[in-house]
Amino acid sequence: MRLFVRLLSGLFGLALLGLGALTVGEVGWSWAWPQRAPLLVPWPSWLRYLDGRHWSDTETLVAAGVLAALGLVLLLASAAAKTRDIRLRDPGTAVSVSTSPRALARLVGRHVRAQDAVSGASVTASAKKVKVKARSRLESAGQLRPRLLDSVRELLAELPLARQPRVTVVVTAARERR
Amino acid sequence: MNAASALARSYRAERLLVTMVGLLALAGGAAVLVIGLGWLGTYRAARPLRDPIAVDWLTAHATPARIVALAAGLLLVVAGLWWLVRALRPEARPDLELDRTVGAELRVTAGALANAVGTAAASITGVTRARARVVGSAAAPALRLTLWLREGTSLQAVWAELDERVLAGARETLDLPELPAAVRLELDAGERRRVR
Repeated sequence: MRLFVRLLSGLFGLALLGLGALTVGEVGWSWAWPQRAPLLVPWPSWLRYLDGRHWSDTETLVAAGVLAALGLVLLLASAAAKTRDIRLRDPGTAVSVSTSPRALARLVGRHVRAQDAVSGASVTASAKKVKVKARSRLESAGQLRPRLLDSVRELLAELPLARQPRVTVVVTAARERR
Repeated sequence: MNAASALARSYRAERLLVTMVGLLALAGGAAVLVIGLGWLGTYRAARPLRDPIAVDWLTAHATPARIVALAAGLLLVVAGLWWLVRALRPEARPDLELDRTVGAELRVTAGALANAVGTAAASITGVTRARARVVGSAAAPALRLTLWLREGTSLQAVWAELDERVLAGARETLDLPELPAAVRLELDAGERRRVR
């Protein structure tokens, strides 16, 4: 998303440049030689197209809806382009430390897979939340879940994270014994 | 540049521009929808898009309208050009100018400093790979370091060695009272074992 927003902002710069240049060209041209055909943009025919239209026409409403939807997409894209880095406690005033969500997930995943009775695990991590999905063939979910929760919390407490993420653990046991 | 802002290139301006354009598009589209659907009166909704009142006003004030349009167009050209140059410019890698006295200029290139710090950082126990670069401006340079750590490395030990040896060394060599550093850790990135 960050690359997309960067690309978009560059394109907007290009669009502003083009729009400004065309405006200056067309306005200046039609002011100097009102009788001649327009320079590049066939704006008289655009005006003729607009002449018979009203605010309540379907075309107007559809165009307005598309424009509003595009605006919403842009807002969502820029909201999604924020940094996802996980900040660690800064060890000094002139040093800041961060890590990537992927690295934290890798660390937690390795820890979880090394636990007894865990046959597989997948982890997603962010600065606020660490989500563990573990599979087990030997233990029931009720037994394993609290143990994993504690050990993951312990692992995260050992790391100098700027804020402790919330931990959620979901265990699926292949053979649930009752 | 302080240590926190050296972590990554700032996207604030780009995000702000995209947010503003998005807000404008959303507000414009919504306004036209509100008018067209007749929420501001059915009479207004039935009026032509090229409203005769507005067209008459513009033809009555043709010269000022043209001047305003030309000025706005020029402004757009300047703003667009400025933004484009800003967007295409790569992030700065400032050289350090240690001495500006004429005849005795001393300059450390960004590449040389990055190389030295990167090599020193890679020799820390537990670090498998290190990458460094200089960011910020020549007046306020900062370091951006990426360290790949072996599985099970103690962060405290790495930090101590990094601070005491690498960063303090760089500050001392360059005689800088302060050299902010942003460190990015790739935890558990050690040699991957594929066979379990």
